Amino acid sequence: MSSPEERRSVVTGIGVIAPNGVSTETFWKATVEGISVLDRVTREGCEHLPLKVAGEVRGFDPADLIEERYLVQTDRFTHFAMAAANLALDDARLGRADYNDSPFAVGVVTAAGSGGGEFGQRELQRLWGQGSRHVGPYQSIAWFYAASTGQISIRGGFKGPCGVVASDEAGGLDALAHAARTIRRGTDAVVVGAAEAPLAPYSVVCQLGYDDLSKLDDPARAYRPFTSGACGFVPAEGGAMLIVEEEEAAESRGASVRALLAGHAATFTGASLWEESRAGLAHAIRRALEDARCAPEEIDVVFADALGVPAADRAEALALADALGRHASQVPVTAPKTGTGRAYCGAPVLDTAAAVLAMEYGVVPPTPNVVDVCHDLDVVTGRARPAELRTALVLSRGLMGSNAALVLRKGSGSPS
Amino acid sequence: MTAQLTLNELAALMKSAAGLTVDPKELANRQDATFADFGLDSLGLLGIVGELENRQGRPMPTDAERCKTPRDFLALVNTANDTVPTTGA
Repeated sequence: MSSPEERRSVVTGIGVIAPNGVSTETFWKATVEGISVLDRVTREGCEHLPLKVAGEVRGFDPADLIEERYLVQTDRFTHFAMAAANLALDDARLGRADYNDSPFAVGVVTAAGSGGGEFGQRELQRLWGQGSRHVGPYQSIAWFYAASTGQISIRGGFKGPCGVVASDEAGGLDALAHAARTIRRGTDAVVVGAAEAPLAPYSVVCQLGYDDLSKLDDPARAYRPFTSGACGFVPAEGGAMLIVEEEEAAESRGASVRALLAGHAATFTGASLWEESRAGLAHAIRRALEDARCAPEEIDVVFADALGVPAADRAEALALADALGRHASQVPVTAPKTGTGRAYCGAPVLDTAAAVLAMEYGVVPPTPNVVDVCHDLDVVTGRARPAELRTALVLSRGLMGSNAALVLRKGSGSPS
Repeated sequence: MTAQLTLNELAALMKSAAGLTVDPKELANRQDATFADFGLDSLGLLGIVGELENRQGRPMPTDAERCKTPRDFLALVNTANDTVPTTGA
């Protein structure tokens, strides 16, 4: 994403709101231990729907972190994003004192795949139940894909370049690339990531048409990519926000440089055309490696997309072989999301957070619920595997056909 | 249904419609401060106008959601109330 003489983008803070933890610490602990939190859907109004298993964020009270004035005008997906942004800013020790004199130096970028379904459902029920006069004015902004970016910007006073990436699930990685481009053009820091809340009844119904959705009712068997039992994916809510800063700006304020956003590329190969995604994903990996000036052999760990659909899993394994050659069958591959479900755009950002932490702690987290891998990949199952990790590859694909790859290099900083 | 809107009621509406905790005494002391100073944005005021319209079963004056201060808002809303014939109560 940058040449030596260019402005490089580094990760200095991580904030996570995920099904397996509503802080970065609990998320990482559960991830390393390979704990699966997939469970029966318990959200009100969803009980009778054919989606039985999901990754719900439980025990999250947004009022602990966000003022009520923001909560009343925002959907759950924005509550997640604002809370995660808070955690990330704290983690990076980036406070108002750092940018009070230069608010235009900090921007915000989020990715979104479905917007504010729960808020929208409530207001539409008022529309049809009570009439148009009972629809609140905040409906005009709460459902909107850009809501999280806007509210994080307003609350934090970030006046730098802001944006929202709506490019399917892989948009979570594209948002990080967008942040890196923003930094290359002169912005010092970007609050970037994605969080989703797709488990309101309306949102669940919207997903029921996806052939790739797992309808199994056994949480231990519902989402098992790369196995002969693969029967689709389990959706999840939550996500992660990162603080990405220009390297020198981060160093000059004494921030810990956790990882370098080294390379990214994205392609598009069409909705649910999984066989075709092989070429698209392979191309994205090759270009991301070129962007990062990284040889295939330098990749120490792969965070796989791991859709859990046999044709998609095969395409991903073949794409890795196409792009990494013999190294594809030797490099450790993991998919921690099998323990949480796929939070759409939030999923690859959670994987990016896990990849940064994996490099810091020198351990590859395992792939919960997955045993007997039926592809030529070294999928880490069962227990976490200690390993020196200097470079990580994160992959993501969306149901609508987007493919993206991100290369991360370990930073000089130590775990905070 | 056309009782005068009080500062207490306005404070309660700011809480329910916009999530703002405002002390009615503070509102009374600073009636010429802007709604923005109290943290109320234009959509929040629009929500309050909508709530009042639903409660009273009739439209508020067209410029109600454009009022900048609590004093202006109460004056406009309550004047409108005076001009509408009441049916008892």
